[in-house]
Amino acid sequence: MRAVARALLLLLSSQVVAHQPVMDMAPRWEGGYGIQTRVERFDSRTTTWLEGVYTLRPSTRVTFKLPYVDDELRNVIIGVPLKKYTNRGAFTSNWSVTPSVQFPTADEGEWDVGLSISYSASTPSSYKLYDLYVWNDRVGLDINVGIHPVHNNSTNSGLFAIWDVSMLASSDGDRVQTGPVLMFYWQNVMARLEYKALVYERDSNWSGGYFGFGIGAVF
Amino acid sequence: MILRKSLFALVVALSAAPVVAQDYVVTVHGIVCSFCAQGVVKKVSKLPFVDRSAYTNGVKVEIENQKVTVAVREDSALDTLSLFAAIESGGYSPIEVWKVSETGELTAYQP
Repeated sequence: MRAVARALLLLLSSQVVAHQPVMDMAPRWEGGYGIQTRVERFDSRTTTWLEGVYTLRPSTRVTFKLPYVDDELRNVIIGVPLKKYTNRGAFTSNWSVTPSVQFPTADEGEWDVGLSISYSASTPSSYKLYDLYVWNDRVGLDINVGIHPVHNNSTNSGLFAIWDVSMLASSDGDRVQTGPVLMFYWQNVMARLEYKALVYERDSNWSGGYFGFGIGAVF
Repeated sequence: MILRKSLFALVVALSAAPVVAQDYVVTVHGIVCSFCAQGVVKKVSKLPFVDRSAYTNGVKVEIENQKVTVAVREDSALDTLSLFAAIESGGYSPIEVWKVSETGELTAYQP
């Protein structure tokens, strides 16, 4: 029974991160597209995500996310981020509403839907993202606040250093994780490295930290 | 004979001389991250009047002051409307255009 509950929890946890934006920063240009893979390690389990994005116009994107767990492809998730940008001097921000649908592509997969509302803002030296999402009976809030301490205009390269706080409340338990994120970019390639420690947990049976690595490119 | 050779050499040299680009600077609101703004380079560099031999495909982005420098071919004229449309399709807001003099001074550009 405990094993079943644990397996269910792991499956749910792989869906929980599905709300996270595929490359929030780019591509914001019309006709831009990107692909990335992310590997997550938590609770002695490794999940690999294949993710893609296509920008029809700056206000409308289409994303897909395909998780791969234990030699098995899981349910694909299609999202449509709808964005409203504001550009003002050395500041840009956007509000985003993202409806998502999970298609039952896995064995015994199920349909599901989710909704995310997010706000992100950037200056040449700072970045922040707030993302509130609902997925089935789960409600979560992600907060990213960071700095942009290194960049080189001529090589289009640099680094973001971000602090992440992820909060989740659900019928399967609640938790709060927090930790640093480093995002490197060089021309059209970006890599993301993150670690989050579990700082609060109630009835979720989670243990240990979260480690993630991702690499992607935009065109 | 020597004069004819000299004239011929001069004509050859002039015809082979590289075309000098003319720089224009565009103030673009919202450009704060070069990774995010590479769509501007992609879109603007495809415009026919851009000299792609300069900068990165003819375009330079400076996120500190929200400036985009565009190298325009000597044998072409800047088309402000298509330049602004390209920047907007890249996700940003073009505000005004400046012409760069040989001494590097900026003067407001009126097409």
